[in-house]
Amino acid sequence: MKQKALIPYMFVGPAVILFSIFMAYPIIYSLILSFQSGQGSNLEFTGFDNFQRLMSDAIFITALKNTFILLIVQVPIMIFLALIIASLLNSALLKFKGLFRVSFFLPAVTSLVAYSIIFSIMLMNDGVINQVISAVGLDRIPWLSDPFWAKASLVIAMTWRWVGYNMVIFLAGLQNIPEELYEAASMDGASRIKQFFHITIPSLKPVILFTTILSTIGTLQLFDEPFVLTNGGPSDATLTIGMYLYQTGFRFYDFGYASTIAYVIVILIAVMTFIQFKVTGDQE
Amino acid sequence: MKNWWKATGLAAAGAMMLAGCSGTDGGSGSGGEDGETTLTAWAWNVNVGALEDAMALYQEENPDVKIEVEDIGRLDVYDKLSTGLAAGGVGLPDIVLVEDDRIGGYAQAFPDGFLNLSEKGFEDNADQFPSFKQDLATVNDSFYAMPFDAGPGGMFYRRSIFEEASVNPEDIETWDDFLEAGKKIKEATGVAAMPLDKFNDDPTFRMMLNQLGTYYFDENGNIDLTSPEAVMAMEKQMAFEEADLIKEVDGWNGTVSATIDGSVATIPFGAWYYGTIIDQAKDTSGDWGVFLLPAFEEGGNRASNLGGSSWMIPSGGDNEDAAYDFLEFFSTSPEAQVIAMEDYGLFPSLNAAYEEEVFTSEDEFFGGQKIWELFADEMADVETPYYTEDYALGLDEAIKAQADSFNGTDPAEALKAAAERLAERTDREINN
Repeated sequence: MKQKALIPYMFVGPAVILFSIFMAYPIIYSLILSFQSGQGSNLEFTGFDNFQRLMSDAIFITALKNTFILLIVQVPIMIFLALIIASLLNSALLKFKGLFRVSFFLPAVTSLVAYSIIFSIMLMNDGVINQVISAVGLDRIPWLSDPFWAKASLVIAMTWRWVGYNMVIFLAGLQNIPEELYEAASMDGASRIKQFFHITIPSLKPVILFTTILSTIGTLQLFDEPFVLTNGGPSDATLTIGMYLYQTGFRFYDFGYASTIAYVIVILIAVMTFIQFKVTGDQE
Repeated sequence: MKNWWKATGLAAAGAMMLAGCSGTDGGSGSGGEDGETTLTAWAWNVNVGALEDAMALYQEENPDVKIEVEDIGRLDVYDKLSTGLAAGGVGLPDIVLVEDDRIGGYAQAFPDGFLNLSEKGFEDNADQFPSFKQDLATVNDSFYAMPFDAGPGGMFYRRSIFEEASVNPEDIETWDDFLEAGKKIKEATGVAAMPLDKFNDDPTFRMMLNQLGTYYFDENGNIDLTSPEAVMAMEKQMAFEEADLIKEVDGWNGTVSATIDGSVATIPFGAWYYGTIIDQAKDTSGDWGVFLLPAFEEGGNRASNLGGSSWMIPSGGDNEDAAYDFLEFFSTSPEAQVIAMEDYGLFPSLNAAYEEEVFTSEDEFFGGQKIWELFADEMADVETPYYTEDYALGLDEAIKAQADSFNGTDPAEALKAAAERLAERTDREINN
């Protein structure tokens, strides 16, 4: 009997051990680090100094602004596009559904760094996109060197990468909307567009909430795209909080301050998620 | 019963996985039982071959020592080194290559992380190196690095382009002369004067600062970005932009492709760029030449330095003494240094090496010019750049100042704003 009582612990044992070494320990250690300051190994406890420093750190505030601009502009564009594409690809009239679905989903399979490098090559001053633009007779666009266009480039690249991913989630959600709703609406003379806004979107509300939260978390942690595409530039115009965290830790060796930034990101994500739950007013 | 065995099996598998993870005593080599020592090293690019060849030479006297060099990307070496040092010296090699601008940063951020070479007696070798190289390898009056290569600055130019525009490089003495020459070249050939990754890197600005005897920081560690010299350098660079003489390139690869396809007339870089030119632009043999950076005023200083690196020994390894002995040999042996230069284009900073024959020889790839003599003569006049442990922050802000200038801000204002941000980030004083 005693052996039997031990068995469950043996099953969970490896997972618990791995979790505590690779998750719990770093989480706790970085919390301790976030109250320390200094370069490299010269760390000393400074209480809440790091958090105070963060509040008046102009670069952190710039990074925060950039991240929120990207969040506010990119996430709605992407979610809306994904919704439209999903409902188009769900249409009974469409042939070769599989082909289209795969084509739209494919970008989501590519590695973040690989696609960012390709975009950075295409968006270069004399890259493919500018060559097309000047061939049409328009002025070249300083995609990666102008503060505004650098942000726009990020939005374009991220939308390309993530629309298909969200589309697939919406497609799954669409399968749960009863066909009768659309039939009834057609009988009553509601147009396709009206049906989209009054049936599709309300029915998909929980799914939209889910994708929005995932995208919000993703954007708050954004690193690969700005790192490869613009290196945070020009002059911090595309510096995200994720990049600032990396720079602080691994370029400037201030691991304590970097941990503080990490914890602030966690708090931000928690707050944002809470607000989204409240705003969309989930009844349950 | 059966279940019990399964569970034990699973637990055992889990334990083995963990064991696999923890077996990371890293690259630290081991002293073999038969007295054989294998040193481990991290380096990048051509430095790997140079280190291996030096070991071959060293083995003539010390047959029991071997070296395993891991070829890791330059920035990855720093990431691995920083992580290992932050973890208290775990998984580090016996020898690591570090660029001069990072030595102070590492030695101050991790005071116990590296072997103090002065305690081993490296002081005795100090005067074998140019003074700026000594300064860069020293932190708090102790040597922490052994000087290796240097990057005396020069303008690598394409003879054919200069000839087509009938510009004589020997007549270029000041940056203003070069500006006029650049305009003439652009008009005759459509080729830009020089390449620059305008929004991501500032090598030309750094060389100009060094030439003017200043840098991001001064000797006392104060921020020097608002000095009249720094403003003058940035404005000079912008004068070339206004004349449309700068070709925007995308990082290192962009610079190299502009070098190969001849879309720029000159490339201002350190002597180490020789290796890349002869390797990547093989078809252009004989078409190259070098002249020193133009001065800011007639008769002004034309010596500068960009880059260069040194060897450091992480402390706490089993082979500290063997690593020290080998590196001391490498750093002070003219023969080993000449191999590094001839085969890998790494310009030595060992004074005695300049006496070797190759320094008076003519280089075929460079149209028979005595380029090594030119660089060697330049070395004695190079001013010390004061990098400090906040160099990475200084670089970050200087690049922003350059980006802002190229996006239309007045250079003096851009530099002032950068200096203020830098002061905030480092708690340092701004000069004047």
